[in-house]
Amino acid sequence: MNPLSEIHIDALTEVFNIGAGRAASSLSEIVGDEVILSVPSLQLVNSSEINAQMLSLNSPRLGAVKQQFSGPFNAEAMLLFTEERALEIVHDMMGSHVSIEELAEYEQEAMCELGNIILNACLSAMADILGLVLESSLPQYRVDLSDAILKQIIEEANQPLMLVLHIDLAIEKRHSQGYLAFLLSSTSLEELLVHIDRFLGNI
Amino acid sequence: MSNSNSIKTLLIVDDSRVSRMMIRTFVLAKHPNWIIIEAVSGNEAVEIVDRDTPNYCTMDINMPGLLGTDAAEQILAKYPGIRVAIFSGNIQESHQTRAAALGAQFVAKPVTEKTVAQALAYFESAK
Amino acid sequence: MNQHTATSSIPVDINPLSELIWDAINQGLILIDNNGLVVMWNKWIAKHSGIPPEFAIGHSLESLFPDGLSAAFKTALKNALSHKLPIVLSNALHRSPLPLFSVPVTKGDQPRLQQSTALTPIIDETGKHFCLIQITDATTSVKRERVLRSHSEQLSIEATTDGLTSCFNRRFFDDRFKAEFARAQRQSTPLSLIMLDIDFFKDYNDNYGHPAGDKALISVVNALKTQLNRATDVVTRYGGEEFAIILPGCAAEGSLSVAEKLRMAVIDLNIPHLFSKANKVLTISIGITTYMADTPCSASCLLDTADIALYRAKKDGRNCVRQLITPHCRKTGPNDSQQPRLTVCMT
Repeated sequence: MNPLSEIHIDALTEVFNIGAGRAASSLSEIVGDEVILSVPSLQLVNSSEINAQMLSLNSPRLGAVKQQFSGPFNAEAMLLFTEERALEIVHDMMGSHVSIEELAEYEQEAMCELGNIILNACLSAMADILGLVLESSLPQYRVDLSDAILKQIIEEANQPLMLVLHIDLAIEKRHSQGYLAFLLSSTSLEELLVHIDRFLGNI
Repeated sequence: MSNSNSIKTLLIVDDSRVSRMMIRTFVLAKHPNWIIIEAVSGNEAVEIVDRDTPNYCTMDINMPGLLGTDAAEQILAKYPGIRVAIFSGNIQESHQTRAAALGAQFVAKPVTEKTVAQALAYFESAK
Repeated sequence: MNQHTATSSIPVDINPLSELIWDAINQGLILIDNNGLVVMWNKWIAKHSGIPPEFAIGHSLESLFPDGLSAAFKTALKNALSHKLPIVLSNALHRSPLPLFSVPVTKGDQPRLQQSTALTPIIDETGKHFCLIQITDATTSVKRERVLRSHSEQLSIEATTDGLTSCFNRRFFDDRFKAEFARAQRQSTPLSLIMLDIDFFKDYNDNYGHPAGDKALISVVNALKTQLNRATDVVTRYGGEEFAIILPGCAAEGSLSVAEKLRMAVIDLNIPHLFSKANKVLTISIGITTYMADTPCSASCLLDTADIALYRAKKDGRNCVRQLITPHCRKTGPNDSQQPRLTVCMT
């Protein structure tokens, strides 16, 4: 059932590992502190199986940053955070002089930028390693009740498969979980696998 | 260039099979007679070094268990003669500084012919 | 502007209407070629930078703003040109990446314009790469957003919050309970419901006065809140001195230990209540029930069962927890012949 072999997962994990490293480097420049990263873990799931528990995003509200990208294959890349975490990260990025009330006001924009940094880092790593040219839309951020966010993902995606990547990132020893989800149609997935195989074949 | 002909042992430490495979391939293309050992974690690397004492080592940072930089620190404290290249995608300034402080060379991933050549140049510059 | 594009090292074809639109747009637009040189420079940007297009075109931004560009902007531009991926610089994190000012531009005498910036790679039909820089004046939007946001948040908070205890209200409970129940059914996960009541609260109010009663209510809510660790577990004021707590994903055993912790937390407040027949201090009675995955139980049945459990707790002398498991209660509700089974009793 699972079209991803172990070696595919390994290769993709390494791609995202490097992407996460690039993102951490940009983020640490902004916060002026080290960003601690976990080894990303990756799974391929049916989009109908996506729910807050499976993602262990237990929060009434979620924030989602989304970018559509196109190239040899088309996909939607999305980063999910619990709202509390999103606000904490924005707080860390903006510095402690900003009050919590003020934070909410900047959340929209700052989360767009944060998502943009992480998504671009992952996309550019994928493009560099697999030798692809990828184009992308500007990021959009939405914060809503968890159910509404997840429902929209599933409905809008209209894609049976979803590549879900889990990265833990901690700023100033603060633990923040973020999920990166790539929504791929089956033809896009096949295309991605062709590129991974080509890359593996070149080794 | 007699160096490139002599048999050397290289320990590749990386939790990614693909990365190990790529490093191995690029190294063997240049030095077909080198002996390559692999470890999938920092902990395993520390054990292997005690047993096999390689000449060189490439070390990933983000791995399950012991961090690569911590493993490198332990290895270099015990065997200062081993040349370690920290080969990682975690390119934050702090890691690069730490690598330098440990007396290791930082090489930024992805693993390519060019980045492997950087690690090799460092290994062979050390005599 | 035709003569400017003609003098530029890279000829760009723009039809006259597009050019008029480009200049009419009320935000800053700069087009940069792959070598980092300005190809187009619209009226807005000319106005706010004080640099006319004839000076800007063919030059790099660094040479036009020798020490005015933020480091983050320079990195972003470099990345946008090399990775060909769009980049945003939010006003939140980068107040004013470019030295732009309100009109009339009198540099140095006034603060820079607040900006929101986006860099988008563009490829023309011949395969040439460009980067479009869009700059929005964020001064007004920052203010507007602040006002709108505080209004709408105030409204939504008021609509779902209990004024006295500032916990969620009945309306919030009704919505949340419906949603959580539907989710539990859909995902085949358990769902526990706690209903609790302050014992002899009427006697408390009558003897200690309403201000003291209000104070006690607030203390009880705060004590309950400290025992709930998950963000999804929230206290709601169901009515008067009755509260409801939904515990999504929580099975019977877990909910029982939560309930016991809640009961103890209220006792530990040590609020004297000499007119209570249950204890010398303020106490609560608790009824719990759990929806077990894949049993034919409706939301209203679950709610009624929790109510029955609470009634049992009161009947059994108050200051205790009673739990009822719904075995096969049907959609017709609790008046059905099959009564929920009492499984656990503890005091």
